Amino acid sequence: MRRLLLSACAGATCLVAGALFAQEAPRLTGPEPFTKETPAPPMQRQVTDDVRRKRNYPDQPPLIPHAIEGYALDLNANKCLACHARKFTEQSQAPMISVTHYQDREGNTLGGVSPRRYSCLACHVPQTAAKPLVPNTFVDMDALVEREPRGR
Amino acid sequence: MDVSRRTLLKAQAAAAAAAVAGIDLPAAAQNLAAGEEIALKWSKAPCRFCGTGCGVMVGVKDGRVVATHGDMQAEVNRGLNCVKGYFLSKIMYGADRLTQPLMRVRDGKFDKNAELQPVSWDQAFDEMARQWKRVLREKGPKAVGMFGSGQWTIFEGYAATKLMRAGFRSNNLDPNARHCMASAAVGFIRTFGMDEPMGCYDDFEHADAFVLWGSNMAEMHPILWTRVIDRRLSAPHVRIATLSTYEHRTTELSDQSLIFQPGTDLAILNFVANYIIQNGAVNRDFVDRHVNFRVANTDIGYGLRPEHVLEQRATHANEAAVSQPSNFEAYARMVGEYTLDKTAELTGVSKERLLTLAKLYADPKTKVMSLWTMGFNQHVRGVWANHLVYNIHLLTGKISEPGNSPFSLTGQPSACGTAREVGTFSHRLPADMQVNNAEHRKHAEEIWKLPPGLLNGEIGYHAVQQDRMLKDGKLNAYWIMCNNNLQTAPNTNNETYPGYRNPANFVVCSDPYPTVTAMAADVVLPTAMWVEKEGAYGNAERRTHMWRQLVNAPGEARSDLWQLMEFSKRFTTDEAWAPEILAAHPEYKGKSLFDVLWRNGSVDRFGLSEIAADHDNVESKRFGFYVQKGLFEEYASFGRGHGHDLAPFDRYHEVRGLRWPVVDGKETRWRYREGHDPYVEKGSGWQFYGNPDRRAVVMAAPYEPPAEAPDQEYDLWLVTGRVLEHWHSGSMTMRVPELYRAFTGAVLFMHPDDAQKRGLRRGQEVRIVSRRGEIRSRVETRGRNKMPPGRVFVPFFDASQLINKATLDATDPISKQTDFKKCAVKVIGVAMTERGAE
Amino acid sequence: MAAIARAWSWFWLNPWVRTATRPPVTLSLAFLTLGGFVAGVLFWGGFNTVLEHTNTEAFCTSCHEMKTNVFEELKGTIHYANRSGVRATCPDCHVPHQWTDKIARKMQASKEVWGHLFGSIDTRDKFLDLRRHLAEHEWARMKANDSLECRNCHSAQSMDVSKQNPRAAAAHEKDLFTGQKTCIDCHKGIAHKLPNMQGVPGWQ
Repeated sequence: MRRLLLSACAGATCLVAGALFAQEAPRLTGPEPFTKETPAPPMQRQVTDDVRRKRNYPDQPPLIPHAIEGYALDLNANKCLACHARKFTEQSQAPMISVTHYQDREGNTLGGVSPRRYSCLACHVPQTAAKPLVPNTFVDMDALVEREPRGR
Repeated sequence: MDVSRRTLLKAQAAAAAAAVAGIDLPAAAQNLAAGEEIALKWSKAPCRFCGTGCGVMVGVKDGRVVATHGDMQAEVNRGLNCVKGYFLSKIMYGADRLTQPLMRVRDGKFDKNAELQPVSWDQAFDEMARQWKRVLREKGPKAVGMFGSGQWTIFEGYAATKLMRAGFRSNNLDPNARHCMASAAVGFIRTFGMDEPMGCYDDFEHADAFVLWGSNMAEMHPILWTRVIDRRLSAPHVRIATLSTYEHRTTELSDQSLIFQPGTDLAILNFVANYIIQNGAVNRDFVDRHVNFRVANTDIGYGLRPEHVLEQRATHANEAAVSQPSNFEAYARMVGEYTLDKTAELTGVSKERLLTLAKLYADPKTKVMSLWTMGFNQHVRGVWANHLVYNIHLLTGKISEPGNSPFSLTGQPSACGTAREVGTFSHRLPADMQVNNAEHRKHAEEIWKLPPGLLNGEIGYHAVQQDRMLKDGKLNAYWIMCNNNLQTAPNTNNETYPGYRNPANFVVCSDPYPTVTAMAADVVLPTAMWVEKEGAYGNAERRTHMWRQLVNAPGEARSDLWQLMEFSKRFTTDEAWAPEILAAHPEYKGKSLFDVLWRNGSVDRFGLSEIAADHDNVESKRFGFYVQKGLFEEYASFGRGHGHDLAPFDRYHEVRGLRWPVVDGKETRWRYREGHDPYVEKGSGWQFYGNPDRRAVVMAAPYEPPAEAPDQEYDLWLVTGRVLEHWHSGSMTMRVPELYRAFTGAVLFMHPDDAQKRGLRRGQEVRIVSRRGEIRSRVETRGRNKMPPGRVFVPFFDASQLINKATLDATDPISKQTDFKKCAVKVIGVAMTERGAE
Repeated sequence: MAAIARAWSWFWLNPWVRTATRPPVTLSLAFLTLGGFVAGVLFWGGFNTVLEHTNTEAFCTSCHEMKTNVFEELKGTIHYANRSGVRATCPDCHVPHQWTDKIARKMQASKEVWGHLFGSIDTRDKFLDLRRHLAEHEWARMKANDSLECRNCHSAQSMDVSKQNPRAAAAHEKDLFTGQKTCIDCHKGIAHKLPNMQGVPGWQ
């Protein structure tokens, strides 16, 4: 029953939203008509509040809640590791990069950060304060796993 | 109430009782959901985005995708995904997902000038069929067309090629891969007689040097880049050299970058060849045994409309693909012109860097992997660029062995698997066969169980030509599937949009989302995407991989495969085929296209009982047989025994993909090489068996200038491309809030001096104007791309900043692929102060 | 010994020297005093003008080495363009503001002229090869003067930590305000790219 309700809800949102946002999201559908010249939206401010964002699921790489402008990520230096590598976390109080980052391609655990994890920005990205162009109806697994408060 | 809920209540009651009694319960009964409640169903799938072909594990609960992560078992990525891949869970859930067909309707009838309104599938298909039949009747097969995709599943591409070529007898079928891979594909065929790379991703772990010719892998192929970086940092002798027209994340991680004048990569390639010859680094034995020399026609024009002055002026605009036999001496003379001095001057690259690069190739002990993507392919001399890099590898014999590998990367998940292998180009049939070859057509007719002579031998309209023919009113019934061409085609204001809105034309667009293209179409069909259907993709290393349907599409959305097959029901052979064919083969008369194409005893030979019990399959249940398996097995019969061997269908559902040719159950990692490729005879060393004499071709071709270059008025080079966080036109990634916030809108990357010269600052609004059109954007003088003075970069993912209004529809005249990397623009500040961020 | 005596007498017998050391006959004392003062001002002014000229970004970037390497890199950073438009030029960070330190730095800089004349970093690749060496010089200098040039603009006393990001505020409170660390300890590579950081404390 719950499943049915959920999918019905999702379906209804899609139907309504489909009709609604078709007009309300010109940034996704392009100018109307196509040939019209439209102003460029302003560049958005970076999120730099250092507040960790909840992950959509455990496997999601955490987002970067701080500025990274000008941070070196080249063959000479990796600024990310200067705070997030295990040996610097006490001093920096930054989250340590995950244990998976100490594994090679074959899954062997190494004595240091795996070189395949050197390009931090391939998976971890900073955020702007922009409002999403359309809502995303993705459902968090917590909402599907029924949990009710159990007192003790 | 279901079972698990009852269990939960029981547990709660137990906990309450235990609390009263002061007893500690084991962890499972504590305040933590456990057991079935939190169980997810995990299945494998390839990533939906680029041509890397990463394996993904998809977690499903209650009919929804709730998690994704990199597949540890997938050899390609071993547990890694890029940020787009990690957010695959959310690409299907944009709130504006299309769930019903839309049609331009007024007073209950189709009207091209009306607004799009929801209709039923029957209404949409009825109108489409009416229009298709009208056009076929009035103008014949040449006036119907389809623009497909390197994101189609193999089954969908195969169904499309059958429907178009055999059903409607038209070769006006081309994929968006034309904008993306055509130069590479044509380069392969002209050099080796067979498409696709000889090597594979295993080369990453074997190479001593990586040379990137026009590829920003750190952003565009991030997971393959992790393999390059892994190798570079693990083995200190390894070097990375990156050639580009500007600095970016890849050059940051390279040992040296060679920033050249746009288009002059051709000169650098010839310089390297010249250096190899001058310094005695030619592998004479290899060259004598395995190489033929040819010389290409020069002055071949720019693929513009034939009346364009540049085409009128070009000597060989109509014979661009022609080449003549030649020899080593003539070749050496030709490349001899590309001296160090001349090349340094023409390209703007320092002599020391040119020499360091050339030495990597010339040193017989250095195993070199050359990599390229759009820098080479979206190039008015893209086919030549591909040739010239093969020349270097062939001169030195550095090919087809671990670490020695000229490797063409792809941009779409199935550019290889679908667009190229299935043959959805306007000139191709499955397994590298050609539509203008009578033998090949005959072979296809036999496999498809169709009357001889049915297939049309005339090459159809390629992508850019389709747009021109739509505009000119010669292509009138047009179906766009699985791409967003109005955003991604060149010179859209003048050459694409007018065709869509031409009153003589009827344009259909199938897409999961209301894209720019969908909004300009007459009918929009809501489409099931990714794991909402069973599918198969083929990645850049010849790896075919499959996935099951894991969830259902929302509302009435249906897969492209469902749409293609369902639409075929609305035609009889009498309406689509020439009467003389039916007269000669009356047994086909009066049958529906559905029956002759799919119910042919081959596609429909596997029953529903073979479908995986724990997965749905919307298409098969609709049509009454295991559609995907039937299509795949019929398609595979084209290539088996011809060097394109695919494994049996079911095997692909068990493994993380296999690299063809799969012979005796074993995949092939290095083609053309003895000991690795079962098609190569013992004692031969190498055999390039795609060509009759089993030799590869060294093609002599010079540097020729781009179609348009900056001048006094339009004083900047415009380069377009992608960014890491968004994929192509952004129709999926712009709807994932985290990806949208990671790169929130397109910007104009510009050198600070260029900005200063124009009185501009970072963040200011500007007009980017070309001779063809203009858009507005914002100046970015910082960030990931560092432009040299005189060059600007604008990504094309943002539907609100359609940079392709400014690009030029010049193509490589051989491959017909557009050059999106080189045209001239000017940048002017919009007199308007910056509005602060919200 | 004889040679020295010979040189001594040659010097004092030289007619120019004799004129210069003879008391003035026709010029007034006032003229000479004032004239000497004016000449001194002119000389001193000229010296300082030239010195100041060498203290401009235009002078620094008149050298190809500076223009194409370090200045080009500065353009992409916050010290070149930012919200309020207050920007740092080369000498703001690389030349001490106090006169004695400035002169000392200028004398050191004569080595850069030498480097320029002999082309020790006249290509990008030569510059990159020497980058660690060059950077270490600047780090050592700033470490030694407690990041004086940073502090000319960024006074620790004038920082409002409530306006800083939490992690910046925490780091400043812990390390900067207590004098545990100086600016350059943490803020390396903020205006130019970094050299190979292997072995540098705080880096991998």
